[in-house]
Amino acid sequence: MQPKIVTLYVNGHTHQVALAPNVTLLQALRDLGYTDVKNGCEKGDCGACAVLLNGQPVNSCLVLAWQAERAEIVTDAGLGTIDHPHPLQEAFADAGAVQCGYCTPGFIIAAKALLDRVPHPTEDQIREALSGNLCRCTGYGQIVEAVQMAAEKISRNQVFPKNLVSEVDSPPRGVP
Amino acid sequence: MLPEFELLMPHTLPEALDMLAQGGPDVVPLAGGTALLVDMRGGHLHHLPESAGEYTREPFGKVKCLMDVSHLAASSEPFGKVECRREDGHVAVGGGVAIAELVDSPLVARYGPVLGQAARRFANPLVRNRATLGGNLAYASPAADTAPPLLVLGAEVELASAAGTRRVSLEDFLLGVHQTARRPDELLTAVRWPVPAPQAAGAYRKLALRQATAVSVVSVAVMVELSHLPESSQSFGKVECRQARIALGAVAPRPIRAHAAEEVLRGQPLTPEAIAEAARLAVEATCCIDDLRGSAAYRQRVTEVLVRRALTDVATFPPSRKLGSFREGNS
Amino acid sequence: MTVQVKPLPPVELPELRVVGKPLRRVDALGKAVGATLYAGDFTMPHMLHAKVLRSTLPSARIRRLDASQARALPGVVCVLTAADLPDAKLTTDMPGQTGQKQRAGSDAPVLAVDRVRFVGEPLALVAAETLELAERALELIHAEYEPLPGVFDPLEALKPGAPVIYEPDNAVARWKIRKGDVEAGMRAADLIVENTFRMPFVEHAYLEPEAGVAWIDDQGVINIRVCTQVVEHFRSIARAVGVPQNKIRIQGTLLGGGFGGKEDVTVEIFLALLAKYTRRPVRLAYTREESFAGHAKRHPFIITHRTGVKRNGRITAAEIEMVADSGAYPYLSPYVLLYATIMASGPYRIDNLRVDSVVAATNQTFTSAFRGFGGPQACIAYEQQMDEIARALGLDPLEVRRINYLRTGDPNGTGQVMKGAVWLEETATRALAGLGEKTPDHGPLKVGRGLASYFQSYGRITWFHDTSRAWVGLEMDGTAVVRCGAPDLGGGQINSLCQIASEVLGVPLKDVTIYSTDSAVTPLAGTSTATRQLYMSGSAVYQAASAVRQVLLERASKHFEEKPEDLDLADGQVFVKRDPQDSLPLKDLVARCAAEGLPLANLAQFQAPFTDGIDPQTGQGDVFPDFTFGAQAVEVAVDVETGEVTVLKSVACHDVGRAINPAAVVGQIQGGSTQGMGYALMEEFVLQDGLIQTPSLSEYLIPTAVDWPPTQAIILESGSGVGPFGAKGVGEPALTPAAAALANAVADAIGVRIPDLPLTPEKVLEAAERGRLEIGD
Repeated sequence: MQPKIVTLYVNGHTHQVALAPNVTLLQALRDLGYTDVKNGCEKGDCGACAVLLNGQPVNSCLVLAWQAERAEIVTDAGLGTIDHPHPLQEAFADAGAVQCGYCTPGFIIAAKALLDRVPHPTEDQIREALSGNLCRCTGYGQIVEAVQMAAEKISRNQVFPKNLVSEVDSPPRGVP
Repeated sequence: MLPEFELLMPHTLPEALDMLAQGGPDVVPLAGGTALLVDMRGGHLHHLPESAGEYTREPFGKVKCLMDVSHLAASSEPFGKVECRREDGHVAVGGGVAIAELVDSPLVARYGPVLGQAARRFANPLVRNRATLGGNLAYASPAADTAPPLLVLGAEVELASAAGTRRVSLEDFLLGVHQTARRPDELLTAVRWPVPAPQAAGAYRKLALRQATAVSVVSVAVMVELSHLPESSQSFGKVECRQARIALGAVAPRPIRAHAAEEVLRGQPLTPEAIAEAARLAVEATCCIDDLRGSAAYRQRVTEVLVRRALTDVATFPPSRKLGSFREGNS
Repeated sequence: MTVQVKPLPPVELPELRVVGKPLRRVDALGKAVGATLYAGDFTMPHMLHAKVLRSTLPSARIRRLDASQARALPGVVCVLTAADLPDAKLTTDMPGQTGQKQRAGSDAPVLAVDRVRFVGEPLALVAAETLELAERALELIHAEYEPLPGVFDPLEALKPGAPVIYEPDNAVARWKIRKGDVEAGMRAADLIVENTFRMPFVEHAYLEPEAGVAWIDDQGVINIRVCTQVVEHFRSIARAVGVPQNKIRIQGTLLGGGFGGKEDVTVEIFLALLAKYTRRPVRLAYTREESFAGHAKRHPFIITHRTGVKRNGRITAAEIEMVADSGAYPYLSPYVLLYATIMASGPYRIDNLRVDSVVAATNQTFTSAFRGFGGPQACIAYEQQMDEIARALGLDPLEVRRINYLRTGDPNGTGQVMKGAVWLEETATRALAGLGEKTPDHGPLKVGRGLASYFQSYGRITWFHDTSRAWVGLEMDGTAVVRCGAPDLGGGQINSLCQIASEVLGVPLKDVTIYSTDSAVTPLAGTSTATRQLYMSGSAVYQAASAVRQVLLERASKHFEEKPEDLDLADGQVFVKRDPQDSLPLKDLVARCAAEGLPLANLAQFQAPFTDGIDPQTGQGDVFPDFTFGAQAVEVAVDVETGEVTVLKSVACHDVGRAINPAAVVGQIQGGSTQGMGYALMEEFVLQDGLIQTPSLSEYLIPTAVDWPPTQAIILESGSGVGPFGAKGVGEPALTPAAAALANAVADAIGVRIPDLPLTPEKVLEAAERGRLEIGD
């Protein structure tokens, strides 16, 4: 089983890393320092590992890193920072939608993908879009409210959320 | 962690078929991985003996070489497309088409809405973005959600190899639990079905233990060619069934057609009595087991109810009024 | 029939500036942007990766455990078995923070010595250079078992002749209550109603599987960074590892959920041992399946109620029997059983009461703490029993409860007098009224409604002599620091402490920094369990902050020439209450205090009431500092042809005393109630002959966003809690009534009681058909 050098584009950074074929995108991302992508089950049941792959929300635990080569990968941390949070991240924080927070990055990815396609979703559409993300703390009520708040804020401010792009081609490590 | 394996990454379909021709039974195609990778990981759960749960020690646990076909869909091969082939009156969906695309596809909505309904209940949106139609059929779980709708659409699968392409009816393709007619050197490249007659109407019902990411306990698809489309629920009982197809999932080693139930409806008005009789006969086609999700007896009861409800749907509402909410009506 | 909401008595709660506001929690944004590091997110230089070898059989003798091939694999640095750790035993009885003497026989071996007692029992530890090598090493450890007979049912386990797991007779603990004269009470009854209810194993299913990293620092202290609900485990880890207590440091992370599942020692002990033996940093992260097999579950219970009642619904006597399953090791079973025993009779005034409870060992996954700690199980039984009593008497379910509810000044089952507000009727009527108009039946969908009232303790058992400590101080620029050992499970534990400090010191919330959960640097604050942190650590923070406040105001009174009680602190200013323009920036006041050597920091210890234990023969005595009271009402639609249950509406009303952060309280109520409804409808950790049938989240189903609408939360504030600002606790109470309310709703819909949870569609269908046959529908 020979590793090969794989090129991964993550949150605007380019990474070239030697990976064996059996390494999942989840593992590869976490080993590169993207610890916001969480391991909750490694089998597509919980959504905690969700990332955007060419704009589509997927479970990174079910994508092999080799399969994601040269795709555009966005994780929750690529959407905003503590100093410049994405409206979704702010809305989650303000609506009480973040309790333990372990599921939150995956939810924000799924919500981002929804709002990109459907800027004014109904409550049913929100629940449906989030049906692949499990939360054990909140009962989902405040999460849905957060997405509604963010949808309104984004359309009101005409903000087209950009992914966080950095000039530097090295993986972000540590915590702001 | 996944076990060790080789990963082949063909760029084109011919390249992929050559790899399969050379690799034989040791090479397994990998598309979305939503079933296959889960299986393979299961082999590494050391503390769980053979008989625990259902997702450990599955048949693919020992695979040594995978061939990634997920990029074949991204190229312009038909492998990744939903097409209406007017020249032979068929709709063709590439094996690499993601289930999410079936949900959104206007062609599926027009020419195979019962498949779209099943796609909407398939796992959850994250999984749907990766799982493929070809993968769902080739993995051949007895509960494969796309199979019952395709069976009632009269679908066939296209199997391509370096030696050529052949077509097999879906009914002949699905042989048993994780067993299909695919030869080791073949790739499931498309699923096709004839554009339904204008007065055809279909319905899909699924019962599971929660509303998302849940394996079907029973799933039912029906497609009926009617004498004319009902205008309202007042037409109930006044519409005649020219022919019917009824398919059941998760109630046998493979998804099946309920032929005896279909026969009893042929040429008959779709009355509540006829529907009830068909539903009863559909149960006789099942071959259920007791498992964690339900007993055989329960599955049989539910089969009857879901077949009755699906046929009632078809008999009482014109297809254009079939609904889009993510949960089916309950009555 | 409209429900008359019981009016609330007038309550004067002082208006506060920070406490009581739904502010953004201090930890929320870091989590939302993915910056917060959880226990599995840390790496250390030269870190090794650990794996645990676990038993595949539920009951067996270990004939041979040969790790030589694993040890020989290049890259494998260390393999440990029980042979290498002769003295390693874990005190599983009472996390060591209270210093209580452990009960004999309650220890679990860290690694199995000569027997395995449950599937998943740890046998060996591996540390290797990579995770892959560690996994391969597991495959190279050869375990030879000789299967032994096992027992898989607590009733079977208590029978003579059963295989013995816990000497001498598998009974891990027993409790009893003897109050009044039950025989006389039964004689006085017009009717006796008897029912038995059963509840399964339940899995916490927190999103974060257990994980941590350990390393040895230059003082030889074993540092363990881990997601835990109990920092004080360092004491029992020190004992098990064979080092002094001051040579283990627990650095707790923000948990990705706990719910009681991270209350016992999980990965810490393995990490400490491997760090000690390898002298290198080691990481251990459980897979989901390992988490399922390797940590405690909620106790299954079989509860029988025999209740004597008058025609008008008044209870004259109650006899309750409880049998629980401890799984293979005791852990906290004796205390879970105690809680269940104390709450067995519910929030009702019953003067003639007999309760007998026992928890027995079986060859199954061990059981321990899970949100409610026996309280939800008790509630599932007593609230279904109340509805059965109502049905038998032809009375309205609310009416039967109203006649029997405890009132302020009444004693509960152990004779502890309920002080403070007891808003049972207030909460029940509001929960029911919140359901609004009843949804009509439609075709095969039968609609039913259910109510559950409850009481749940907050604060720990008072004979444990619980304490908590916190340090609060001010920096020279007027910002504040809080140091408190309290772990945060995600429920907002540390945010509440910040809001309290902010309120008392007048420092804006954004200017409060909290250091928490670190035995090296934060004062020990006890467990994040038993709904105790707001009460205990909140009070400690309040005390410490108040001491600093007093220093500030006394110094300020000289400046303003006003009495300290006429001054106030808010928004970083100190000012005269009746003329707020007359003010001084807080940092200027701080500078003056510092220059004069006045203390600007305080370490406070808060103490719960210390009592003696209850009488072992009668179960009478005070047990808890206080209780939370509330109710949940649920409306369901049951498809009587398939058995599927859909929750249409759910309303929960709790008297939380005072809500420190109302948004956090709503979150607890919605989350707890979803967990409870999952318990009622879809959750069961299944073992068959000791083998796990639900090894992952694919088989063990928890609710998703599309299963039900969220519970509407109605928060009442009586101000009568013993916590800061009159707060009670809501963490566990939020879950306690949910499953019972749902079970009552289903029974109402189909007219038949299903006494075993979960209410799967198959069970509901079978019952609905039985109901149809009986009624002749």
